Amino acid sequence: MHFIGKDMDQYLSQQEYVDTAVVPLLELDLSPSGLKSSAGASEYLQSLTALLEKQFRGRILLFPPVTYTSGADRVRLAEEISTEMKRAAFKHVFYMTTDAEWRSVDQLENVLWLPAIPTEHMDRNFKQSVMEDQLRQVLPLFIKEWS
Amino acid sequence: MSNNRVSRRQFLGYTLTGVGGFMAAGMLMPMVRFAVDPVLQQKGGGDFVLTDQRAEDVTEEPVRVDFTFEQTDAWYVSEVTNSAWVYRDGDILIALSPVCKHLGCTVNWAGDPEKPNQFFCPCHAGRYEKNGLNVPGTPPLGPLDQYEVEEQDGYVAIGAIKLNTLV
Repeated sequence: MHFIGKDMDQYLSQQEYVDTAVVPLLELDLSPSGLKSSAGASEYLQSLTALLEKQFRGRILLFPPVTYTSGADRVRLAEEISTEMKRAAFKHVFYMTTDAEWRSVDQLENVLWLPAIPTEHMDRNFKQSVMEDQLRQVLPLFIKEWS
Repeated sequence: MSNNRVSRRQFLGYTLTGVGGFMAAGMLMPMVRFAVDPVLQQKGGGDFVLTDQRAEDVTEEPVRVDFTFEQTDAWYVSEVTNSAWVYRDGDILIALSPVCKHLGCTVNWAGDPEKPNQFFCPCHAGRYEKNGLNVPGTPPLGPLDQYEVEEQDGYVAIGAIKLNTLV
């Protein structure tokens, strides 16, 4: 489900089934050299999480990306997000990111780090199949966590 | 010079009738147009979307067929790709929606290795028979929806969604 008003009504009535939160972590790098790759990573991450939501709509709640600047203190951010997530009744929380710095932050569990693939030059069908390949790598991680 | 000359009075009469007629038509036309508007509205549903799946390649084993159409969400127009599970039953094509009737996850054919002849929903282990009938005892409460489907120039075309008519 998406984090929108309509889906929240359904979420509130089906909380025992929707037990997994997915939080995309998105780095905003506006330096001239980082701008384009930051935008590409954002596109990739949002396409992937949208596909994931379509597959697992009835079990995950997809949050809007948590966006932070490139100099942000990841450790402090991790503590703040995980504290907030504990206020909701999720059994599993997944964080998805393309930002490599999260690999050295161990305050968060279940951080799925994926290298961003630039998709801007792909035509629609090719992009679709690339993203589905990416999704197929992520799905088993969810199934494993659930079982 | 012709014999039946138009008098000034007649000329003014004709001219005023003509101009008045145009003015009356100018007012009445939009009103009539508004009144009959529901008849002129184009119907959105019922269109078939051509896929790139060859109809003759469809067997009794369900295959996933993707189809793309434009969706307007308020002011935001986007291309949406949906899929359907298409298989052949005798001579007729059958297309089932992959959306689980429990909470809307995407179901897969033979997604559970232990049940190779059923649709499986990975979210809460819902299962469906090949015709879309939900297996009792699993979370889904109804059968999978069905798509209108037809063959166009040798390719599968997917139409409107409807309630399952097979079970």
